[in-house]
Amino acid sequence: MNETKPFIQMQNVEKYYGQFQALKAINLEVNRGEKIVICGPSGSGKSTLIRCINRLEEHDGGKIIIDGTELTDQIKDINAVRREVGMVFQSFNLFPHMTILKNLMLAQGLVRKTPKAEARKVAMQYLERVKIPEQADKYPVQLSGGQQQRVAIARALCMKPKVMLFDEPTSALDPEMINEVLDVMTDLAKEGMTMICVTHEMGFARSVADRVIFMDQGEIVETATPKDFFENPDSDRLKLFMKQILTH
Amino acid sequence: MTESVALIFDSVLKMLVGLGMTLQLLIISSGLGLILAVILLLMRISGKWYLNLPAQIYIYIFRGTPILVQIFIIYYGLPQFEFIRDSIFWPILREGYGCAIVALFLNSGAYTSEILRGGVLAVDQGLLEAASALGMSKPQRFLYILTPIATRISLPAYSNEFISMLKSTSLASTITVADMTGIGRTIVAQTFAPYEIFLSLAIIYMILTFFIQRSFGWIENRLSRYTKKLGIS
Amino acid sequence: MEAIAGWWDDYFWASIVVFKVFIASLLFMVLFGLIGAMAKLSNNRIAQKLASAYTIVFRGTPEILVILLLYFGSAIALTSIAQVFNPDIKFLDVPPFWAGTFAISVIVGSYATETFRGAFLGVDPGHVEAARALGLSDFQSFIHVRIPEMWRIALPPFGNHMLSLVKDTALISIIGLNETLFVAKQATSFTGKPFVMYILVGCIYLAFSTVITLTVMGFEKFGNRHLKEAL
Repeated sequence: MNETKPFIQMQNVEKYYGQFQALKAINLEVNRGEKIVICGPSGSGKSTLIRCINRLEEHDGGKIIIDGTELTDQIKDINAVRREVGMVFQSFNLFPHMTILKNLMLAQGLVRKTPKAEARKVAMQYLERVKIPEQADKYPVQLSGGQQQRVAIARALCMKPKVMLFDEPTSALDPEMINEVLDVMTDLAKEGMTMICVTHEMGFARSVADRVIFMDQGEIVETATPKDFFENPDSDRLKLFMKQILTH
Repeated sequence: MTESVALIFDSVLKMLVGLGMTLQLLIISSGLGLILAVILLLMRISGKWYLNLPAQIYIYIFRGTPILVQIFIIYYGLPQFEFIRDSIFWPILREGYGCAIVALFLNSGAYTSEILRGGVLAVDQGLLEAASALGMSKPQRFLYILTPIATRISLPAYSNEFISMLKSTSLASTITVADMTGIGRTIVAQTFAPYEIFLSLAIIYMILTFFIQRSFGWIENRLSRYTKKLGIS
Repeated sequence: MEAIAGWWDDYFWASIVVFKVFIASLLFMVLFGLIGAMAKLSNNRIAQKLASAYTIVFRGTPEILVILLLYFGSAIALTSIAQVFNPDIKFLDVPPFWAGTFAISVIVGSYATETFRGAFLGVDPGHVEAARALGLSDFQSFIHVRIPEMWRIALPPFGNHMLSLVKDTALISIIGLNETLFVAKQATSFTGKPFVMYILVGCIYLAFSTVITLTVMGFEKFGNRHLKEAL
């Protein structure tokens, strides 16, 4: 699908927590089908940036426009935006008191008003996509971390969003489970989903991203294709960051 | 209106005469209750069924029935029996004062022992294992590790129980004890001024509660000094 | 034992009164507790201060005092008002059932305020965020995520509040409510056997407490069935 306008536009976006400025003059455009990876040290503002996109955080300055709709205080129906923007959290955040199936069906019924039978079909379809259909009637506590995160991805996909945001999706997982989640994300990327991922998984960035963005202290310091980003880092800060994370 | 003010002033003075009685009931019952609570606690955590079960039954009964009923059983019910009247306890049980203290401390002991047990269960097992590994005996672990930590953890819940005790002392007024509430009710019966008297009385209790909470807060702070991260100096 | 014979009827109906007070006061207690918790959690300074005052006042005042104040205070007010219309009226009161029920609901409601407030704060914020990210409205996430998690957290202390309600019912006998303790007092003056009469009252209340405790345990089991680990 070719759109001349970018799907997500962030113009001079700023965000303050009290006196502390978490985002400084962020300018970013994301086109349909693009895969963006954002990395950087803790406290650089990466999570804050993507949380502003679905307005879990409210930005204090600048403009954010999602698919033609600007996010402002007067926005009439933020949930219409959130329907189209899927989010996967570091701590999965599956609803503990509902079965996996119910987790996947809840928002479909309440937000998209999908009838139950249809919602169930969609849910099972995505559970199969993430390769754990047999877990449908279990409760989240009975699943491993990797399985829970895959369910979380399926839950977001059930809403058929136009873009998927990932906030450090593998940071809370034991090492042996990281790959099963990255595999799902890679498949998703191949199918053309627009994705913005905050992650430390550099291998994933290299193979999947169209653009890699480095953030530090609330600013976007450098943006490049994976090749240029990893092989020819420009700024000193990025060079330092590379050294810190790649020595192990 | 000025007669109201004069009445309030007068009554408050009279009711404060009962403050001594209220505090006596509170402190003696809580003190004895604490001793009983420790005994019950030791029975509960002993691991031996013939100690655990009677303690559990005792706690179950005293927490499951209204304290007013317990007071009435002791004050009105016990004198029915000759062996009670002949016993050495009779001088205590004959008076409203004695019965109130007995009922209150038996009740307090039950609630407090559960609070202490909660504190004991909340102590990190790892700390006790470390003490074992160092060669400390069971009584030593109990005294030097378990008790200080469990006490600190139990303190907030115990302060609530202590305040609850304060409020329960007012029930002694139903068996002729001249505590603050007892005096207050007498005044109301004479003057038909429930608002002025009972409201003033409520305020007195609230002030007492405030002081008790402050004191416990201070104790909690002192005991918690080692749990706070030190500031960078 | 024969002393009780002839009084079974009275004790039975008195127990029904205890039950009625429990149901009525339970509803009010939940209502006051939720309103208080909402007020404390809201952003409205005035609501917060009012709710604080509510919890401070009723957690610091003896229950018997609140009952006496509410009952006699309302009686005096009502009598004065009624005497304006009909000077012959000597005494008009709010029935002890309602004065007592309202009093204990207000008192235990102040404890419930703290319990509900703590329970709402104990809901994992990540779960609420996930609901918002999926596009659920505030109301929808309140109903489907916050309430289900919150009542499970509140359940154990809430069980204690229910026990307090039942036991405080005995205090209402002081203002003449015809519940079991009141009956025991009457029975004692007729039969001269106080011990067995009051023990019976104790047993009745113990039975109520036991039923409540078992019910709460049942709800805890039901509420936490999603936590059973895979074998």
